[in-house]
Amino acid sequence: MSLSDRSALVIGTGGLGGPALYTLAAAGLGRIVLMDADVVETSNLNRQPFFREADLGARKAVVAAERLRLLAPTARIEAIDARFDAGNAPELVRAVDVVVDGSDNFATRFLANDTAVAAGKPLVHGGILRTSAQLLTVVPGPAGCLRCLFEEPPPHEALPTNAEAGVLGALAGFAGALMAAEAVRLLTGERGAYVGRLLAFEACSGRSRLVMVRRREGCPACAARPAPAA
Amino acid sequence: MTLDADRIARFSRQLVIPAVGEAGQERLAAARVRVVGASGTAAPGILYLVLAGVGTVWIDDPEQVTPADEGQWLFPPTVVGEPRAATAAADLQERSRFVHVAPLPPEGAATAALVFAPSAAQSVAAAERARREGIPHVVVDPDGEGGGVVSVPTGAPCYSCARSVVSARRPPTAAGAALAALAAEELILLLAAPGPTAGRRIDLTRGVPTMRATVRLAGCACGAEIAR
Repeated sequence: MSLSDRSALVIGTGGLGGPALYTLAAAGLGRIVLMDADVVETSNLNRQPFFREADLGARKAVVAAERLRLLAPTARIEAIDARFDAGNAPELVRAVDVVVDGSDNFATRFLANDTAVAAGKPLVHGGILRTSAQLLTVVPGPAGCLRCLFEEPPPHEALPTNAEAGVLGALAGFAGALMAAEAVRLLTGERGAYVGRLLAFEACSGRSRLVMVRRREGCPACAARPAPAA
Repeated sequence: MTLDADRIARFSRQLVIPAVGEAGQERLAAARVRVVGASGTAAPGILYLVLAGVGTVWIDDPEQVTPADEGQWLFPPTVVGEPRAATAAADLQERSRFVHVAPLPPEGAATAALVFAPSAAQSVAAAERARREGIPHVVVDPDGEGGGVVSVPTGAPCYSCARSVVSARRPPTAAGAALAALAAEELILLLAAPGPTAGRRIDLTRGVPTMRATVRLAGCACGAEIAR
């Protein structure tokens, strides 16, 4: 099956979702569902490639879809101007071949993880803060999921926000494009590079680290899926 | 130059990063970067320079937009056949009033270079020009699913010392966009925080970056000139 017959849901159209969307469209993906409930703000413009000053105040999902359709007129681009939540998540995830999570908050990341695991759909997770990025792929099978690694979202006050810690824009572009390249690998039948291992990259030092992520006994997300063959 | 309120609002997310800060942002604004090669593969890299607030971006590319560029970030199908440098510059200039983007002017004296040349020989030539000018530069070696990014701060081992001689330079895949963004990130860090920085090469292999310090090859002209 070629990429033109495959589909992806991209959660978020900003620092990570933006480059992921550009890269997936350029790769020739046939159907792209993008979702975002935010409006364009000035502080987005140092790193979010879809948006310009003239878009300030506009709905991100609408603007991103318009720009993507110009680049990839033969692809089916579906824009959802809403938050990914427990009400819409199962149906959205079931309707695509892969989920790319470029969201900017832990509640959404864990919801995307739990929903993808329950639906048996591959999920590419990405996160970025200051000059560090991390990626993890969750697929059905023996490899662990985001909740196997972190159990619960951290308390709201435990981590600084993007506004407090900052984000290096080009690093977000790097991570978002890596997420898309990983989705392409999965959609073309290759093994994912981040399946069962979290990639952590720090831009200033240039160093990367791979942390093994195994399925954790008692993980509430994985409990509902079949146990891996011994 | 002191950052005005508009710039502080625009670049707030990177001003709070210690590796950039207000002084780094001012250095980015003062920089004039010559970008060699503006194919679809290079497009993400050039775009991130502009978004970061690099003051002047000059695009050096004599080719036209090809079908291979179509659909890649800056190049919708409607611009195939148009001059690449002017097309990319027009799109990028619309994105920020804090930068100047244009095809490379004949007398343009750059303060840094970003090289996405289409062949190994052109990469070597573009890097050598930057080295002789004494400006920091970053060179991209795409190779199919991955490739490498070589950062050459002033005085560091040159690109020829660090380039991969086994690279087949296969056409880039989706990972090419990642490599281009990584190259922009490397140059932004060099420009924002100049000083005694070691040269390095980051290889991207099946989505995993690996960094190593570059080492001057015995007998390389870059070492002889430093010794003088």
